[in-house]
Amino acid sequence: MSKFADIEIDPGIVRRAANGDVRAHEIIYRAFAAPVYSICLRFTKVPAHAEDLVQETFIEVMRSIARFRGEAALGSWIRRIAVTKALMFLRSAWTKRGQSLSDDWQDTTEGQATSHGISNHPDDAMDLDAALANLPDVARAVVWLHDVEGFTHKEIAGLMGKTESFSKSQLSRAYRRLRPMLAVTDNNTQPDAATAGTY
Amino acid sequence: MGSDNKDNEMISALTADEFAALRQGLQGLSDTMPPRAVWHRIRAQAEAEGLLQKSVMRKGSTWFAGAGIAAAALLAFVIIPGSPPQQAEPGITVPQNLPTNTAQLSTLQTLMVQSRQLERNLRSLPDEPRVMRAGTVATISDLEDRIAAIDYQLDDPEVLMTPEDEELFWRERVRLMNSLLQLRYAQAQRAAY
Repeated sequence: MSKFADIEIDPGIVRRAANGDVRAHEIIYRAFAAPVYSICLRFTKVPAHAEDLVQETFIEVMRSIARFRGEAALGSWIRRIAVTKALMFLRSAWTKRGQSLSDDWQDTTEGQATSHGISNHPDDAMDLDAALANLPDVARAVVWLHDVEGFTHKEIAGLMGKTESFSKSQLSRAYRRLRPMLAVTDNNTQPDAATAGTY
Repeated sequence: MGSDNKDNEMISALTADEFAALRQGLQGLSDTMPPRAVWHRIRAQAEAEGLLQKSVMRKGSTWFAGAGIAAAALLAFVIIPGSPPQQAEPGITVPQNLPTNTAQLSTLQTLMVQSRQLERNLRSLPDEPRVMRAGTVATISDLEDRIAAIDYQLDDPEVLMTPEDEELFWRERVRLMNSLLQLRYAQAQRAAY
């Protein structure tokens, strides 16, 4: 589940932040900066862009927190702002290049990832990170939103201004790309025997 | 929000084991803090846009800043001689001269006592193991950063802070110290086996 959900902030701190208290805002920033930056970095891959998006996200938090009513968790609210900012960035970058979000796969070749397995090796997190980074921007965002942040295809479609089919298609292509490095190291499992339940 | 399993079945690109491995792997990737300069940029922009209250001098609680400094000095004196090198300690602003009878304590003082006890418990744990999971290191570092940020706020004599404010910040400090202690305790238990 998303790391945003694990972060709790005292409602009194939120109230103080709503009144413009810089100390309360710094506490909120320190609590959520890492997951916000991580989302932005995974979407953009460029630290300078991710830092700008972190800045935009927390400025938006400061502008809007007085309207935050607490119906959802603070983390979910901040995550939504960060995701929206990051997707707007992707969209504008693609618009500038005269391409649409759907053109994302044209420059890449399917099946680039290499097989290492994930389970017990310290390097596996790095391998998965690298494989994720090699996905096209939009597919990477869809994988992250769906499998880490828990968004549904309907929600992803809404965020991207696309259809649910678009989200599913991106996810499917991303899975096919990532599949070679998901060879489960359990001896009882044959990586290519997709006879069990499929996802 | 939530998983839409029927959609996943339609996607049909991964086996159940592969799908579980992918989710576990993705969710296990550690978060990274942005550079410290980012907060300063945010604060500068927020001040320029008038989003923040102006700081004013703290009134009527200078005893507290003095007590914090004295406590820090006392703790430094007590800890440094003969102490093994430790991990970065959370803030050391807890006043030492509080009543021991809890019935005499205000809520704020109770939180201070709890905070002091948690720091003692933290120091009594063995040193951190040399090899730690990256995720654990990041979480510990994150909690220590957040505690340090609160200590910075509590120790800043330049700002107004009512007793209610102080109570709020001390409560948050106790909560974070609790989380840090639980994490370090679990880590020490794992290292023992």
